Amino acid sequence: MRRLCFFTFFAVFAVLLPAGAFAAPLSANEVMAKSDAAYYYPGRDFKARMVMRLVSAGGQQRLREFTMLRKNYGPPGGRQKYFIYFFRPADVKDMTFMVYKYPDRDSDRWLYIPALNMVRRIAAQDKRSSFVGSDFSYEDVSGRNVNEDTHTLAREEKIGPRDCYVVKSTPKTADVEYSYKLSWIDKATYLPLREQYFDKRGELYKVFMADEVKTINGLPTIMKRTMKNVQSGHSTVVEFEKAAYDLGLPDNLFSERFLKQPPRKWIE
Amino acid sequence: MQKFSLVRFSVEHPKLVVVLSVLITMLFATQFPKIRTDTNPKNMLPATSDVRVWNNEVEKTFGLYKDVIVLGIRNEKGVLNAATLASMQRITDRILGLKGVAARDVSSFGTIDNVTMDRAKDRTGDGGTLEVGPLMPDAPKTQTGIDSLRRELYGNPLFIGRIISGDAKMAAIYVPLEKGANGKLVADAIRRIVRQEGGQKAGDEYYVAGDPVARDTFGVEMFRLMAVFAPIAGMVMFLIRYLMFRDLFLSITLMMDAMMSIIWSMGLLIGLGFPIHIMSSMAPVFLMAIATDSMHIFNEFYFRFRQLRDKKAAIIETMRAVSRPVRNTALATAAGFTVLLFMHIVPVRIFGGLVAFGTLCLRLFSFSFIPAMFTFVKAEKLEKIARSEDADSDKTARFLKKLAGFGIRKPAATVVIGFLLFMVAVVGITKTNINNNLVEWFKKGSDVRVADTVINRSLGGTSTGYIVSISNEDGYIKTPAAMRYIEGLQRDLEKLPVVGKTTSVADYVKRINFVLHGNDPKYFAVPPTEQMIGQYLFLFSMSAKPSDLDNVVDYPFEKANIWVQLKTWDARAMRDVIREVGRYKAAHATPMDFKPAGIAYFNLVWNNEVLWDMVKGFMLALIVVFAILAYDFRSVKWAVVGYMPLLFTIVLIYGVIGFSGKNFDMPISVLSTLSLGMAVDFAIHFVSRFRQRLSESLPAGAGGVGKAQIAEALLWTAQRPGKGILRNAVLFASAFSVMLFAPLTPYITVGAFIVSMMLLSALMTIIYLPALITLGSGWLFKGGTR
Repeated sequence: MRRLCFFTFFAVFAVLLPAGAFAAPLSANEVMAKSDAAYYYPGRDFKARMVMRLVSAGGQQRLREFTMLRKNYGPPGGRQKYFIYFFRPADVKDMTFMVYKYPDRDSDRWLYIPALNMVRRIAAQDKRSSFVGSDFSYEDVSGRNVNEDTHTLAREEKIGPRDCYVVKSTPKTADVEYSYKLSWIDKATYLPLREQYFDKRGELYKVFMADEVKTINGLPTIMKRTMKNVQSGHSTVVEFEKAAYDLGLPDNLFSERFLKQPPRKWIE
Repeated sequence: MQKFSLVRFSVEHPKLVVVLSVLITMLFATQFPKIRTDTNPKNMLPATSDVRVWNNEVEKTFGLYKDVIVLGIRNEKGVLNAATLASMQRITDRILGLKGVAARDVSSFGTIDNVTMDRAKDRTGDGGTLEVGPLMPDAPKTQTGIDSLRRELYGNPLFIGRIISGDAKMAAIYVPLEKGANGKLVADAIRRIVRQEGGQKAGDEYYVAGDPVARDTFGVEMFRLMAVFAPIAGMVMFLIRYLMFRDLFLSITLMMDAMMSIIWSMGLLIGLGFPIHIMSSMAPVFLMAIATDSMHIFNEFYFRFRQLRDKKAAIIETMRAVSRPVRNTALATAAGFTVLLFMHIVPVRIFGGLVAFGTLCLRLFSFSFIPAMFTFVKAEKLEKIARSEDADSDKTARFLKKLAGFGIRKPAATVVIGFLLFMVAVVGITKTNINNNLVEWFKKGSDVRVADTVINRSLGGTSTGYIVSISNEDGYIKTPAAMRYIEGLQRDLEKLPVVGKTTSVADYVKRINFVLHGNDPKYFAVPPTEQMIGQYLFLFSMSAKPSDLDNVVDYPFEKANIWVQLKTWDARAMRDVIREVGRYKAAHATPMDFKPAGIAYFNLVWNNEVLWDMVKGFMLALIVVFAILAYDFRSVKWAVVGYMPLLFTIVLIYGVIGFSGKNFDMPISVLSTLSLGMAVDFAIHFVSRFRQRLSESLPAGAGGVGKAQIAEALLWTAQRPGKGILRNAVLFASAFSVMLFAPLTPYITVGAFIVSMMLLSALMTIIYLPALITLGSGWLFKGGTR
């Protein structure tokens, strides 16, 4: 008799459970897809002058200053092209870097080395490696395919006044240096306000913070962000000095020819 | 006399004294649960010492790790095979998961980044594609994969001698440790992983090496040794004492005497909140040995008891006879240790204070606890022992008499032979080899030593020193002049036999230059312009872990760090490197300055500091002990005589060390100071008792001393207190001989040193002192001889 009761209880529970899930506004996957769109794909194109400060555990600093251009090809989650022109450090002025990002295969990258007047294609097998010596990886800069992780909604939480989804993302393959990542996704803008990366031991090792969010051309944009490696004490702060969307960046800008001689108009 | 009344009080209220002693002991024992240990020999130098401050600064500037464990993987048939590589990858993955490991900077095939030029993918038409990524993202399963890994490994000189040996028989994984991690625990975990994941069946062998392994293993072993050896030494002494006196009760008394002093002094140390360090962990054995001095009380007591047949009277008489030498030997021993309080190194000071305090406790017991305990022994029992202590019928006493007799009959010959030996020993001392080698503190067959030897044979070296190049100009390191200078210095240093490999920012620049130019060997060089160097370094920062660049150059490019891998842990290896850097700079002008740093440098400095501190302490102790002798004998002349056996013993031992080619290292230098205060005891007993005897035998108002009287008094001294001296030496030596079986060489050294010192100085006292006194009697006795 008791067993029957239990059985009934579980049966009812099992029937009710999916109904409960349906009641939730968004699945974790949907949250992350929306966040990917809001964070890496806003506008048709984008231009920003960025200052990147690399701060060592001892407080020493290195600066990188560059203009980044981005153009979308297709809907969020699709192809993109990036163009980066370096102003600083002074000895790399005129260096340029171009990325063709594909959702389903490794990106193509090119680098122009002014001292040699030479363009080199770069086949980077490691998307997780550091972007110009910073604490941001290439993927942190240009995005990671949402389907490469399994996402679950851990909880909902406030950061300051803002309501967030807290999503736990676990990579499907083992070749990523973190075992999982927690993202605090703003329910209103879908921008990540905070991220915590946990290493293979399950210990926190990297923290991302959106320090300042502004609306630019009607699109919420993170103007200042910090990535800190809490294990090594090293951190990187990126500030957008100028940012603009939908400038109508021409297609041919993203070509080898312009790597060597980028038009002033677009990089200044 | 105050001391005297303490003895009387103790004899009259023995129970009270014993109960009080035990109670106070228990009070000190309550402190024991608060025990804290510090096994890191680095802490010998205070955190504020120049070398530690500088090393910390260098570590911070270049993002370096204090401690790195090296795991060597060796396969006679070569490590580049699918099975070995697969197990290496599994091992690396699991090491990354260990607590205390700085996973982000582990260097292994799977975690290290490589930048190469693939000309096959030449799509742009002007050279090829730059390939950036982990050297071995996945362990290759096919021969093609293995071959391409081999090409990458041997195509990059940065890898050869670091992660792969030239003959491909050895690969290495470098495991940096987070601050405060215990090297032995991580090393043990790595050994466990290797047992589970390793390819031992396929012929893979594994070796775990590196400073933290040696150091922390040493620390752990040290405490284990003390926990094992102190009790064993105690038992040995207990047994020998029992064989000497055939009385359990008295043996226990002496044992209690030693134990109480150990508990009092260790209790005080712990109670004051000091951690137990390497040196203080040796204190119990030293105190046990020092406690043997109370042997003289027992020795005399039995003689007196035979004469007086009254226990209390015999005790008081005994104490009257021996109180002076016992007090003064205690003073000398305590002084020998007290000088350590004036040394520079904190654990040395703590050790000095600890043993000095323990010695004073022991003397307090000699005048209270021991006399009190005597009253509990049954008279019949004493009778029996005393009978066997008859000076003339005793074999030992007869032997001692013969020894002393030789010194008295042939004083000139004895002194000349002694002088010759002394001179030979002095020659030996000039051959002394000052060096320290942490790894050689382990025995030849030990894991630590084997691992180090094997890895050093094939790779660049397990000991790392840094040469920090300092310019006073931002960006100077990026100039071709600086780069070429650093490169030249590296090539020069690599000519030293102790240097296995060097790495610097110049190597990275050359590597990028080479790769960008389609692997053209012509471009494996420092490029001609600062702009190129700047851009190559920037490119390097895009193609490797940021820490790789940080490790070799500071943020403003004002300082560069040259890594020097040494094939030996000899402190003098780093000394050679520093000297060579100086020579190179003298011959080649540069605005840069060079300062050494790193673990190899630290070992050089701390060993030297401890060593010279000890030598200083030794000198100071020599003076203090001499002063005590002069005060005790109320005569500088007698102090000189009493000093001789001690000086002789020490010179002889150091002479032997010099001739043997054994390093004069830190443990030996520590011993020198310790030995002084103890070796002089015998001379104090001998001279005091001899003079006492002589004055007793002289009729009052006699004008001078007869030769015959001197000879008689000498023979008596050699037989009676001499027996105590010999017993003391044998006990002392037997306690320390236990250390000869220790697995760590410094303990063997301590054991051998003290055993030989005790026996030698006892012998010297009994042969040499009579000869000196006979020979110098005219000078020594004011009235002259008749």
